[in-house]
Amino acid sequence: MATSLSNVFLKGIAARSLSRPLNGLFYCTRYSNTVSNDSDTHDDFKPGNKLEGSGICLSNVIEQDVKDNPVMVYMKGVPDFPQCGFSSLAVRVLKHYDVPISARNILEDPELKNAVKAFSNWPTFPQIFIKGEFIGGSDIILNMHQTGELKEKLKDITSKQ
Amino acid sequence: MSSRGATAVLSRASRIRSKLQTALEATVLEVDDVSYQHAGHAAVKGSSDKETHFNLNIVSPKFEGQSLVKRHRLIYDLLADELQSGLHALSIVAKTPHETNPSE
Repeated sequence: MATSLSNVFLKGIAARSLSRPLNGLFYCTRYSNTVSNDSDTHDDFKPGNKLEGSGICLSNVIEQDVKDNPVMVYMKGVPDFPQCGFSSLAVRVLKHYDVPISARNILEDPELKNAVKAFSNWPTFPQIFIKGEFIGGSDIILNMHQTGELKEKLKDITSKQ
Repeated sequence: MSSRGATAVLSRASRIRSKLQTALEATVLEVDDVSYQHAGHAAVKGSSDKETHFNLNIVSPKFEGQSLVKRHRLIYDLLADELQSGLHALSIVAKTPHETNPSE
């Protein structure tokens, strides 16, 4: 019960931040998973497994991210101010194309960072998803740019509003 | 010289080299420590690890028929222990012998 409620709550947050027009850029909304360990609380009202619950929530957020955003980047820093050479490279490559780039800064949220790693089964950042498909990191996006594969992949994505 | 002594001082670079060589039967295997280029950036600041970033250039027949994502995953899987213990990022060029020398 607690888990499903927090899921609904979280989805609400995610949807709001996504619908905000921030030039295709939005930030991860922070939230709290802490619950009181009140001994008066009846067992029925205690949350189940807290960790498991938050893991499910975050993977929902990621799932929604990659579904709603044709180009989704999990990176260190933000597109206009990357905080790592590899993230910077990935954004520079993607900016060659007239597509909206959505991103989340994983440096701001260690839990999100771990959830993304688990979601894609990929240990490093940046991580790029195009039309819901996991593409890879900066080496792969650069290679696809050079071979023309990236242009092909992005061609049916509508340009920036 | 006992191998025990050698293991103790084995650098991450040599561990990476030997893990990849054994599993991939690489014909080209370059392991470049470029950690100095990333020293002090946000994510490794305060870390005591010295060997955090490497450039890998690998030519292996095991990459034949594999997408880039699969090749990178294969390498990440082989180096999972290193990634758990302070290895921070890899820049990877992974090719098949055929791709480096198409005439053969």
